[in-house]
Formats: sequence, structure tokens, C-alpha cells
Amino acid sequence: MRNHPERWIHRVAAELRRPVRLDDEFDRGVMDAVRAMPRHGHRPWTRMLRARTITVSPIVSGIAAAILFAVALSAGHFIGALRANRASGRVDVATDRSGGTKPGVRHSVQFVLVAPTARKVQVVGDFNDWDASHQEYVAQHRGGGVWSVTAAIPEGHHRYSFVVDDSLWVADPAAPRVLDDDYGLPNSAIVVGGGDVAQ
Amino acid sequence: MSRSLRATVVLLGLSCGGQLVAWRVAPAQRGSDARLARLDSTTRLVVAAVVDSARRTRVPTEPLIDKALEGARKGADGTRIVSAVRGLYAELRSARAALGTGAATDEITAGANALHAGMPMRTLTQLRSVSQHAGRAKVTLPLTVYTDLIARKVPSAVASDVVLSLARAGLRDGDYAMFQRNVRLDIENGADAATAAQTRARGATLRNVGR
Amino acid sequence: MDQSTDAQIVARVLRGDVEQYAELVKRYRDRYARYALHMLGNREDAEEALQDAFTRAYRSLARCEDPERFGAWLFRILVNRCRTLGARRGRRARTFVSDDVALHDAAEDHPAEQTAWREEIDRALSRLRPEQREAFLLKYVEDLGYDEMSRLTGAGVSALKMRVMRACERLRELLSDVRDDREVRVERRRAEVNDAKPS
Repeated sequence: MRNHPERWIHRVAAELRRPVRLDDEFDRGVMDAVRAMPRHGHRPWTRMLRARTITVSPIVSGIAAAILFAVALSAGHFIGALRANRASGRVDVATDRSGGTKPGVRHSVQFVLVAPTARKVQVVGDFNDWDASHQEYVAQHRGGGVWSVTAAIPEGHHRYSFVVDDSLWVADPAAPRVLDDDYGLPNSAIVVGGGDVAQ
Repeated sequence: MSRSLRATVVLLGLSCGGQLVAWRVAPAQRGSDARLARLDSTTRLVVAAVVDSARRTRVPTEPLIDKALEGARKGADGTRIVSAVRGLYAELRSARAALGTGAATDEITAGANALHAGMPMRTLTQLRSVSQHAGRAKVTLPLTVYTDLIARKVPSAVASDVVLSLARAGLRDGDYAMFQRNVRLDIENGADAATAAQTRARGATLRNVGR
Repeated sequence: MDQSTDAQIVARVLRGDVEQYAELVKRYRDRYARYALHMLGNREDAEEALQDAFTRAYRSLARCEDPERFGAWLFRILVNRCRTLGARRGRRARTFVSDDVALHDAAEDHPAEQTAWREEIDRALSRLRPEQREAFLLKYVEDLGYDEMSRLTGAGVSALKMRVMRACERLRELLSDVRDDREVRVERRRAEVNDAKPS
């Protein structure tokens, strides 16, 4: 076989040609995704979507390219201006400052708890791996029993709670609740991103 | 077959078999998350195995790790942590199946919470369909509102109807926040939870007519 | 089993019968999973690329110029998805692919040796440059002609021939030790079997 390199390559290929079988879970996943998309239907205007080959002269294609370029430039400028207007309050960081692994866009979120007899209030949640040791999640007392902290929270759905005096778990009274019979201690939910902060 | 060749084949078989067995027994130890070091070794192994399964079935893994870390922080024992993580894994799988594989992680997480709170699977699927027709891509907020309503003792059927009606009306993010706040305040002021939810939903959907 | 042609099924899907798409998924799933698995090196990425390809194909089904060749059109989408995913993620550590593969055809070799041989091939494949791996798989595993490969990849025929040649040379290099030992064992076993046969 050393004298027949082609035969050897074919043996390698034969090995690689062995069947690979996926289970029905894969099919279900594809069909779930496909069903969630807009259905195809018999609409006359879909004929326009079918690809056609059109032959144009170099001059016409050059002019068309120049027009498209100009349109793209102005559209890009408009979109950039729109984004700048919506950017207030956004903090873009590459990594989670708490040391966790949640890269992505963050938004400033203020957490407020009224706890007149508390000596210490912290915010813990999945955005800081339930670890309250970082200073940025320790609330400051503003007076009159009002505690608050503003932290940069990644976009997404999060669960969190206040911890008062290192021992008392308190759900955020102003936030949506999450049923938490797993550990018997209360949590709140926050959805960050999508234009508004829903809390 | 010569003795030495036989021995070579047997040794090769044992080492390959051993590697396969080691791989199957301890997939959890390959590349497991460093944060799980907070757990005791047995719990860590089991949780890492669940996370590994989730990765293979393309279910978000971060919520599972968070659930384990939450348990550690709250002083739960290993059995309770494992039970919570396994339960969440099942709920994440169901949520992903109901919402479709294009669903974002936050939708799947919120969906798992909603299923845990008692939302039927068909309602979850319906919510996706209704939201898309209303021109809203994501269902994270209506799912969060549903879970909150259940936590405030609104019956499941009422909560489902309310959330579907809000989704049908194409509510914006701020409208969901306002709806949740209003219902909460009404209940805190002594209103019946179901009545508060239904009344505020009617108001919110009316405001959205013609938008 | 559904005897309809691909063109008939595509037509039904385009008329709104989304469930018919499941038949196309079933027809092409396993064969294309094999390509994706060898290109990307792990099952997770392969399934993602394949699922992505199926959903994209559904979305742009109206633009499929020749529904009778839906499979080839889908394969082109998959080749591109594999390139994108491969570039984005780099090559992850390869899993044991042997448990994904039917080993029941290992007539000549001891199952443990078959696993080891397969592992060596996979390891060598992963060390090829992506464009060489792609060309090798398309030529020797998917059995495509160079013209078809050129249409799929956008590369010229001579460039593709060069890539295939380099891939074979590199694989030969990487697998030379394993290959020599294996061939000796296979030849020896054949001789023993022949000796044992009654004359």
C-alpha cells in the first residue's frame, strides 16, 4: 500500500464517509424555527423575488454602483445619528467588571430599597454571580432610610435580591417578582435592554 | 496472531476503551466553569455534568451556573442545589422547544421562569406567535409580567389571558413596566389581584389601539 | 417514505404547507451533518451550522432557482455557514467523534483500532488549513467534480486542485506513522486469514 498513495487516500476518505446520524431532536429544532418564521404563500409579488440574470453594460453598472454607494453613505450617517441619540446612559464594556463572564452591552440601573433600620444593604444577583463582595454593588445610605446603588448591568433577563446586614434577603418591592421555591428566599426580576429598562 | 501483536492490540484496546470511559464518566471535568469551585466537589461534578448536557443540547448554560451559585450564596445544601439545577434544565429545554430555536437566551430564561410559575406550554407557544403578529420580536417582558402576576397570587388562567392580550396589543417596553407597577400598587392598596390585573390590562390595551 | 421529488416538496412549501419542509430536512440532514462535522470538528458546531443552513434555506426558498436541485443549493448554503462559523469560532478541541459514527462496518479491524485510526484521521484533518480541508472533503468525501466544487466555493478549478493536492500531501505526512503500522497489521491479518482457510 506504500506504493499506492491514491489507494491510501481513498481509505482515509472511506473512513470519513461513514454515516453520521442526528436524532429527531435536530429535526424538531429546525421545524420549530421554521414554523416561527413567516409562512410562504402564493402571492403574485413573490415572483419578483426569484433571481434573474440581467446583463448590463459597464457604464450602466458603474453609474448604478455610484448611486448605491451614495445611498449607503447617507443611510449610514442617518443610522449613526439615530444610535448616538439613543446612547445616553449606555456603558459599553467588553468584560464584566465583577470578574464574571458576561461580556456585552451594559446599562446603568439604579436599585433602591427603603430600610430605615439597616446598617448595610447590598445587591446580589446573577449579574455578579451572587457575590456581594464587590464595592460597586454595595448601596449607599441617602438619608431617611433610603438606600441606593447604581450599577452597570448587562442586557438580558436577570434575577436578584437585596441582602440587608449580610443576612436578611429582601426582594425589591418595586420590581417584578420571581417565584422562588428552589431555595426559599425571595428574588426579583429585571429585564435590561431593548430600549427601556423594565423594573 | 503473534503473542506480541495480540498484546499490542489488547493494550491499544484497553487504552482507547479507558479513554472513552474516562470521557463518558467525567465530561463535567473537561473545561468546567471555575466559578463552580464554590460548590463542594460532589455537587460541582453533578452540576458540571448538567451544564455539559445543556451545552450539547444547545440550551443556555449560564442560567444553570447562576442557579447553582445562587444556591451556594443562600447556604443551600448540595442536594437542593442539584435538584434546582436539574429542574431548571428541564424548564429551559421546554421553554426553548416552545419558543423555537431562534429564541434569545433572555427569552428562554424568562420562559423557564414562567413555566415554573405554571404557564402552560401551549400559552408560551401562543405568546410567541401573537407577539410576532403584533410586530414585536421578543417575549421576555410579557413572560416576566406573567411570573410577577403569579407571584402576586393572580390565578394562572387570568394571568395567561392578561399577558396574551397585552402581547396582542403590541405593548412597548415602557407600557409593560407601567402595567406591572400599576397592578402592584393596586394590590398593595388592597385590590383583589385578578381584578387589578384584568382592569389594568384593559386600560393598557385601549391605550395601544391605533398605535 | 415520501416519493415526491424535491421540486414537488419545495412547491408545496412555497404554497404555505410548512410541514412539508420536514421531509427535506430528513432527506439531507445526515449526509450534510457529516460534512459539517468534519469541517468544524465538533458536533455542537456542526448541528448549529446545519440548523442555520436549513432555516436560511427555508427563509429564501422562493429564491431557489432550480428546486429540483434543492440539495445542491442547500449544500452551498451549508458550505458558507461552515466557513463563517469556523472563522468565528476557530477550531475547538475535537470531541471523540467515534461515538457519533456507526462502527459496525469495521470488518477488517479490531474496534479499538478502528477508533484509534479514526481519531488519528480526525486529528490530522483538524490540522489542515480550512480551505484545504474543505477542498479535500468536497473532492474525496462528497465526491464532487472540480466544476461543481468551483461553483460551490467560488474558487477556480486550478486553485482547488492545488488545495486538494496540498491536503493529500499534508495528510500523508501527518498519518504516515499510523498508516504504516496499520497497514502492516491489516496485511498480516489478511495473511493469517488466508492461511487458515481450507485449501
